[in-house]
Amino acid sequence: MPQLGETVQEGTVSVWHKQVGDRVEPDEILAEIETDKVSMEIPSPGRGILKEIRVQAGATVPVGAVLAVVEGEGESAGAQAPAPAAAARQGAAAPSGEAAQARLAAVGGTATAPAAAQNDPPKPFGRVRSQRLSPAVRRLAAEHSLDLRAIGGTGRNGRITRRDVIDFIAARQARPAAAQSGAAAAAAPAAAPRPAPAAAAASAPATARAPSPTQATPAAAGAENRVPFTRIRRLTAEHMVRSKATSPHVLQAVEVDFSRVDTVRKAMRDAWRARHGHSLTYLPFIAYAVCQALREFPNINSRVEGDSLVLHDYVHLGIAVDLGAEGLVAPVIKHADQLSVGQLSTAIYEISRRAREGRLKPDDLSGGTYTISNNGTFGTLITAPIINQPQVAILSTDGVRKRPVVIEHPDGDSIAIRPVGILAQSFDHRAVDGAYSAAFLDRVRKLLETTSWTVDL
Amino acid sequence: MAELTYREAVAAGLAQEMRRDPRVVFLGEDVAAAGGVFKTTVGLLDEFGPKRVKDTPISEQAILGAAMGAAMTGLRPVAEIMFSDFFAVCWDIVANQIAKTRYMTDGQCTIPLVIRSANGGGARFGAQHSQSVENWAMAIPGLKVVAPSSPADVKGLLAAAIRDEDPVLFFEQKSLYATKGEVPDGEHVDELGKAKVLREGKDVTIVALAAMVPRSLKAAEVLEKEHGISATVVDVRSLVPLDTQTILTEVAKTGRLVTVEENPRLCGWGAEIASIVADEIFWDLDGPIVRVTTPHVPLAAANNLEDAQLPSPEKIVAKVRELVD
Amino acid sequence: MDAQTTHAAASARTPEGSLSPETRLKLYRSMVECRYLEKRAYDLFMQNLIKGTSHLGLGQEAIAAGFAAAMRPDDYTFCTYRGHNHTLVRGVSMTKILGELMGNSSGLMRGKGGSMHLTSVEHYMMGSYAIVGAHLTIAVGAAWSAQYRGTEQVAVCFFGDGTTNIGAFHEALNLAVVWKLPVVFVCENNLYMEYTSIHQVTAVEHPAADRASAYGLEPILIDGNDVDVVYRTALRALDVARRGGGPSLIEAETYRHGGHSRADPGKYRPDDEVKAWLAKDPIPRYRARLIELGIEEAKLAAIEQEVQAAVDRATEEARNAPPPDLSLAEKDVWANGGSAWRN
Repeated sequence: MPQLGETVQEGTVSVWHKQVGDRVEPDEILAEIETDKVSMEIPSPGRGILKEIRVQAGATVPVGAVLAVVEGEGESAGAQAPAPAAAARQGAAAPSGEAAQARLAAVGGTATAPAAAQNDPPKPFGRVRSQRLSPAVRRLAAEHSLDLRAIGGTGRNGRITRRDVIDFIAARQARPAAAQSGAAAAAAPAAAPRPAPAAAAASAPATARAPSPTQATPAAAGAENRVPFTRIRRLTAEHMVRSKATSPHVLQAVEVDFSRVDTVRKAMRDAWRARHGHSLTYLPFIAYAVCQALREFPNINSRVEGDSLVLHDYVHLGIAVDLGAEGLVAPVIKHADQLSVGQLSTAIYEISRRAREGRLKPDDLSGGTYTISNNGTFGTLITAPIINQPQVAILSTDGVRKRPVVIEHPDGDSIAIRPVGILAQSFDHRAVDGAYSAAFLDRVRKLLETTSWTVDL
Repeated sequence: MAELTYREAVAAGLAQEMRRDPRVVFLGEDVAAAGGVFKTTVGLLDEFGPKRVKDTPISEQAILGAAMGAAMTGLRPVAEIMFSDFFAVCWDIVANQIAKTRYMTDGQCTIPLVIRSANGGGARFGAQHSQSVENWAMAIPGLKVVAPSSPADVKGLLAAAIRDEDPVLFFEQKSLYATKGEVPDGEHVDELGKAKVLREGKDVTIVALAAMVPRSLKAAEVLEKEHGISATVVDVRSLVPLDTQTILTEVAKTGRLVTVEENPRLCGWGAEIASIVADEIFWDLDGPIVRVTTPHVPLAAANNLEDAQLPSPEKIVAKVRELVD
Repeated sequence: MDAQTTHAAASARTPEGSLSPETRLKLYRSMVECRYLEKRAYDLFMQNLIKGTSHLGLGQEAIAAGFAAAMRPDDYTFCTYRGHNHTLVRGVSMTKILGELMGNSSGLMRGKGGSMHLTSVEHYMMGSYAIVGAHLTIAVGAAWSAQYRGTEQVAVCFFGDGTTNIGAFHEALNLAVVWKLPVVFVCENNLYMEYTSIHQVTAVEHPAADRASAYGLEPILIDGNDVDVVYRTALRALDVARRGGGPSLIEAETYRHGGHSRADPGKYRPDDEVKAWLAKDPIPRYRARLIELGIEEAKLAAIEQEVQAAVDRATEEARNAPPPDLSLAEKDVWANGGSAWRN
């Protein structure tokens, strides 16, 4: 079980795509797992035969546990297995007795499969589809936390089609008592009654995705409707309670005039969108200013460990991404202080997109040193964010709106219309005090207001 | 509603706009006295006279250059290039001059012109009079590209093209000239950049253009009756501007896309649509995107060879079954 | 038919004639403006302030100046990538021309076209065209439009000697004659297409004039370095076109003082040929004639000073303008100002 972030301690195997005895190719998807906030796929570390599945679907095991064993082709039992670095790092026992076996726990790490069958002729793509899941099936399964083993495939060679999944969800929805959790769904018989085709088609619009059926179940008039937490919701809730209990939060906010940022955004907006396919928002500018200011105020870029403050000499910037009803994740942009505004913009866009599509890698969630939560899209005035442990501060960016601003000048003051927004930081009063935090915020503001911004396409 | 042939709809669309706007003039080879080699412009000379309906020498560059110069100086010319294959002899005027002049002059020039051309195969004319070249046109920024599949669309889209302020290449599929269909009475003007959903299904979305539209509709019928596969058929109608919203919506509904293109394989318009779909609604796809095209060869003249090359309803049915079954 | 003995050429060769001193000073000023502006453009290249390519018309000023003086303000100009002079003589400001060469916001097209595509529709300067031949057919279209609308405008289309060997030349001439269009085709024969002598690659001695008869046109061959001759010839051809007499094809012999383009020192040309043509430089030649005709030299010197000052001012204005707004990169593909190809 890979480490998917420092607060992660365990993970659940949601589905195996391979059975014992199956031949696997490098990077072929073996299984899907769910851990703290993330669903991800486990690709095969090498070519060989799946010898053993140690953790069945539905089971939850601690990080570092061995999930399965792949035996490399042509390797004779008893040959030395290369112990994957990730396994050693996680302190798990090395599989000394299991020769020529790649440990799935090392997925995402540096392990390489024994290279035995390198000379196999390449397999033609796209012909054997029985075990392949289409993008739509994967998305639906992730959105509805489905165990695909429970779904009968009607496609060629038993492949599960999108229609199969839609029918399954509709059938589950039609049985109110059993439909309340993924666990119940997993137990549902494959031969669930098929709903009317119209209902199936109606639940599949591309752009406006229907909320998961467990939430959409209409309540009887006047009755209460109990909606159990999804896994991510529950973990989000736990984290929030723990953070508030751990860190004495103090909120400070500054008002920032975004005129200079706006100038370059407007100039670049169309060209940027055309080149990169996404908008140039305020966020990368704020992220840039925050990274620069953190270098000058290292105590904010730190964590509390016992009676010490551990300072980082790099900025791994967390970006809070809303997953709709599912909850929140804060994937991390590594060494964000080395990036330009343009690079930050792309990095933020990419990581947010991956988060929404459930395609984060384990590494994406670990190592954050400071987090920005962007609430601005909804035009909020100010938000008091909760610190992403074990960091010591978090910044909320809220709506930027045109406001009258007094411009001071020796020849007399005047009122101008300027784009203004509030940056609000919650800091851990164990780590720093108000003056330090305020000086940091002031520095961020000055950077945003006085930098002559340029953005390379 | 009157029933017109595809070819009659061309003259009907032109006449409608020439009656309405004296700036509309029409020129081309054999278009006036002879009424066009495909008889698409019969009667226009009689109604509008030799000042507005003009026969030209075999000079494709001069035809399009004249149309451009006239468009830059206040007229709204419609030019005919007899076979779309002949675009190759006047491509400078199309790709370098007509398409780019507005941009290069910082918007000083507006070039409201239409170039009509008979496009596509099926008439046993061989490799130099049968090509589908709409994908040449869509590769050039600054050109709008339209290809109707029915008489009503010929009239409505031709009128819209003539009223448009930008240069429009209007591809008439010559294998459709004899087909018939209802055309609304009175003034009929459509809109460029709008695809049409001609049939709704649940299992697969077939996206087609021009002559491939009736073939796809035929294929969809067979799929439904004989194989229990229900197909949506979208008529793209306009490649530039491209109605991606309709296409994305219809593909997302079924999770499967098949494009049917008359152009040869490489860089056909279906490739662009496949790329957009893969980029933007990947997570709604329930299978690979499949393109049905003419193979990447010149078209042959013999009946059986040409038939074997062009996408047929049978080929479309087979490809869809491979994907869906 | 002897192309050199047409009546048009014969009458135009009399330099004295009845041109007023005002007209002559105007012609002189116009040529000096072209000369000084292009010399400045050359200097700015050398300072690396103008990028890309550029094709100078140094030595060919008499043709641009002579025609512009004869044209009605609403007559159309179509010219080639060697078009700075033809743009300037229609009244476009020097700043806008230099700004376009420098590719900044003061430019005629704010940097979107560049040296080879100068266009100013408000001055009926309908464009500089950089693909040889194309613009002859487009000029035909403008003339057709003028004929159709009954405006008595004439389209004047300038092109080089190399153009006479491309198909579009023949397509345009034929259609213009068949439709009897008000268009004047002016071949600026500077003896070289790019780096190759036009005589080496052309079947006839006079690349335009000798082809006129193929289209039933009168062959007109003139001294393109004599601005009076150009002016008179232009007046006549424009008048014929305006009165419905159809097109003319004029071959004006001239010489470019420099190479084909920025990168070309023009070393392929024999020294004595260059020397002989420099002696026929249209500007000193006209200056001497004006003095001979009794115009005070001080008047000419004053024109030269004024023009130099105007070039200096324009240079400063153009140099100090900011680069074009980046948003222009994706503007004005379509008439609605945008570039969207999808919804």
